[in-house]
Amino acid sequence: MDSTYKEETGLSTATLSKKRDSYNATSITVLEGREAVRKRPAMYIGSTGEMGLHHLVYEVVDNSVDEALAGYCDTVEVTIHMDNSITVIDNGRGIPVDYHKQEKRSAAEVVMTKLHAGGKFDTNAYKVSGGLHGVGVSCVNFLSEWLRLEIWRDGATYEQEYKRGIPVTKLEMTGKTRRRGTKITFLPDSEIFDVNEFSFDKLSERLREKAFLNKGIRITIKDERIEPERAHEFYYRGGIAEFVKHLNKNKSVLHDKPIYFEKSSDALSVDVAIQYNDGYDEKVYSFANNINTVDGGTHLSGFRSALTRTINAYAQSSGLAKNFKSSLSGDDVREGLVAVISVKLPQPQFEGQTKGKLNSDVKGAVESFLNERLTEYFEQNPTVARKIVGKAIDAARAREAARKAREIVRKGAIGSTMLPGKLADCQERDPAQCELYIVEGDSAGGSAKQGRDRRFQAVLPLKGKILNVEKARFDKMLSHSEIKTLITALGTGIGKDDFDLNRLRYHKVVFMTDADVDGSHIRTLLLTFFYRQMPELIESGHVYIAQPPLFKVKRGKREEYIKDERSMVRYLMRQATSDLKVVSDKTKEVFEGHKLAQALEQVVELRRYCEKLVRRLGNDEDLLHLLLKAFGGQEGILHEGNTTLKGVFQDEVGEQIGRVEELLSEAGYKTELSSDEEHGLWEIETTAAGGSKVKIDWELASHVEFQKAVEIYKTLEERLTAPFILGENGSKETIESREELLDRVLNTAKKDLMIQRYKGLGEMNPEQLWETTMDPEKRTLLQVKIDDAVETDQIFTILMGDAVEPRRKFIEDNALDVKNLDV
Amino acid sequence: MKCPTCHRPSKWEDNPHRPFCSERCKLLDFGAWANEEFRVPAEEPAPSLEDGEQNPAPSNDDSDRLARP
Repeated sequence: MDSTYKEETGLSTATLSKKRDSYNATSITVLEGREAVRKRPAMYIGSTGEMGLHHLVYEVVDNSVDEALAGYCDTVEVTIHMDNSITVIDNGRGIPVDYHKQEKRSAAEVVMTKLHAGGKFDTNAYKVSGGLHGVGVSCVNFLSEWLRLEIWRDGATYEQEYKRGIPVTKLEMTGKTRRRGTKITFLPDSEIFDVNEFSFDKLSERLREKAFLNKGIRITIKDERIEPERAHEFYYRGGIAEFVKHLNKNKSVLHDKPIYFEKSSDALSVDVAIQYNDGYDEKVYSFANNINTVDGGTHLSGFRSALTRTINAYAQSSGLAKNFKSSLSGDDVREGLVAVISVKLPQPQFEGQTKGKLNSDVKGAVESFLNERLTEYFEQNPTVARKIVGKAIDAARAREAARKAREIVRKGAIGSTMLPGKLADCQERDPAQCELYIVEGDSAGGSAKQGRDRRFQAVLPLKGKILNVEKARFDKMLSHSEIKTLITALGTGIGKDDFDLNRLRYHKVVFMTDADVDGSHIRTLLLTFFYRQMPELIESGHVYIAQPPLFKVKRGKREEYIKDERSMVRYLMRQATSDLKVVSDKTKEVFEGHKLAQALEQVVELRRYCEKLVRRLGNDEDLLHLLLKAFGGQEGILHEGNTTLKGVFQDEVGEQIGRVEELLSEAGYKTELSSDEEHGLWEIETTAAGGSKVKIDWELASHVEFQKAVEIYKTLEERLTAPFILGENGSKETIESREELLDRVLNTAKKDLMIQRYKGLGEMNPEQLWETTMDPEKRTLLQVKIDDAVETDQIFTILMGDAVEPRRKFIEDNALDVKNLDV
Repeated sequence: MKCPTCHRPSKWEDNPHRPFCSERCKLLDFGAWANEEFRVPAEEPAPSLEDGEQNPAPSNDDSDRLARP
């Protein structure tokens, strides 16, 4: 084959010696290039680590992709062999094999041994070329222990082998073929590289990227190192639009179809694909002539400016930014953005250490192209536009929130010397021994400060800020500075980076608020703040609610504190029933002492449930009593055998529900009995005294207050049957109903008592507060559990909610629940 | 359970942002607190209490100075 080579090179004996000299001369420069690369490989391929190693493959593949860009190649095959050598095969034209006059070697050898050579040394070869950016396949050759080149061109096969960049053989024609293309196999030099293992995934990712960028090119990769072999084939007709879809795989996207624009001209081609997801990261890949410009550059800045400008413009014109004063920053509009921008231009200029930044002057062109197209797109796709703008506004809000959080933390993190002035701290320094009482209202704060045991109890008075929202509506909130004070006092800091439970200064944090509706609201507010922003405190059991008494009872010289309504009733019963004797006139059963007290407590219970139930019945007390009688009375339907409540509504004939209806209509109610087809259940519709329509159906009967009321009523009807004969100190008196009996008993009890109801903590003097609520020996603290907090949050959500009706209803209901039994 | 900010499903276990679904939602919530957006209904303030702070409650700060080292 030597002869062929000679023939091809066309050397004559006459020129041989001269040639030899100049060949030597060129060899020297070649050798110089080789030495330079081997001496400082990182300068050419970035590193001698993993990145540089993989770069070798990309360099070879880029040559093939260039062929594809020029339209001569559509398949590139990459193989990782068992010894970590790599083969790259394409079906392009094959590297030229003809004699290169200037270099006096085959063109192929020039490509393989001269820096920055390659198909591109002929500027007309490819209009746009990625390889221009690269260092050429010669670098790969110089840095390989060995490299085998095989070219299929013009019906013949040519081969040549190199060792560390030095030709071992000349380029030889070794056979005939009908194939076309180039095959390069190389083993990276272990003298150069610190690592020699190729990563299949890493190579795959990059090759996939190349396939996306070049619609229609088929790139395969095969890994022979493992059994069974792994392989991928990358082939995308959709180009970069498919690329962004791929990047958004497993993400929830804001719009199904990527936004795609393209423009193609000799001077500059631009392809852009955009798709937002609901995440917060930005993932934008930029390419210039297929080179991943990892450091961006002019094309990326053009893209970013256009995006920020267009989104801001749409936010303004559409009115979406109405409640948002500042403008949306670049970071805001890029949250959740996944985009690929690819430009192609002749002779691109790159800069930077790794040449990963495009320097050519394309910013203006890219920007104006995108401004125009994106504006047009937003106008035509308002749904998508709104989602994107909405997301950017959210991002801007979060940025604002983060700024505020930092502000609060910054002032708070300085340490205990900066404790808020209104905190009355304790002397103890061991957090495990310390308690913090968070008290709402100044007067209460004063009592608490005086009443506490200052050795281990600290007091922080907070003051809710009152706002007049509408004419007759007032709201309360925690001001910015109160929140700051609270966090500083706790010592934990706040937020992802700053919160630390170990810095908590008190292991008991106790909310102490008034026992009225206002107090319960402010407690809801505080508890919700803790639950949302520092749930760790609740989880680890550090949060408590103080239980100040609602009543003080004085009998003669004895004073007693009573914590709530129920206990109060119980207390009164105990007092009153001690010298009282009641006989049911009907059953002749005698009630006295403990037995009487127990029975009357049931009456109180019934009253509690009835108060709730009557609201479901248009506040019609008569209707309520009729129903109780119909269901639970001595002649009521539930007295019969094994009738169940649901059975009454299910009964096929409707006999029992019919009796309820009869009873109601006898009492003068207009009723209509019908069957709910959907569930096959009976229902009675009637009109309450107030005029509102009321349905007596399973929905009503399934409420706990209905079932409890009926159950207690039924028991009381059987046991504590009216009327009663009351015997007190020898006298006798007849009482008609249980209610009357209860009132009578309570009144008797109250006769000798002084009852004080505390409306606020401030009404207690420091000693009283200590004795009843703060003294660890006597107090009861309610530990807040996460479940309680979850419920509190729900209540808070209703209180906060925009829905006016549920809010009003909740406040009313809540007020009723807190309302005192009239003692 | 639902995220208090976006009302999308959120979980408690192994969730550093609990009860929120994400750091973002937690941050937005904190922003709202800091911005005094969260309010509860209140009763009309009694006129005398309106300037509670200037109203030197007797002994309000009697003990705190003693308490500090």
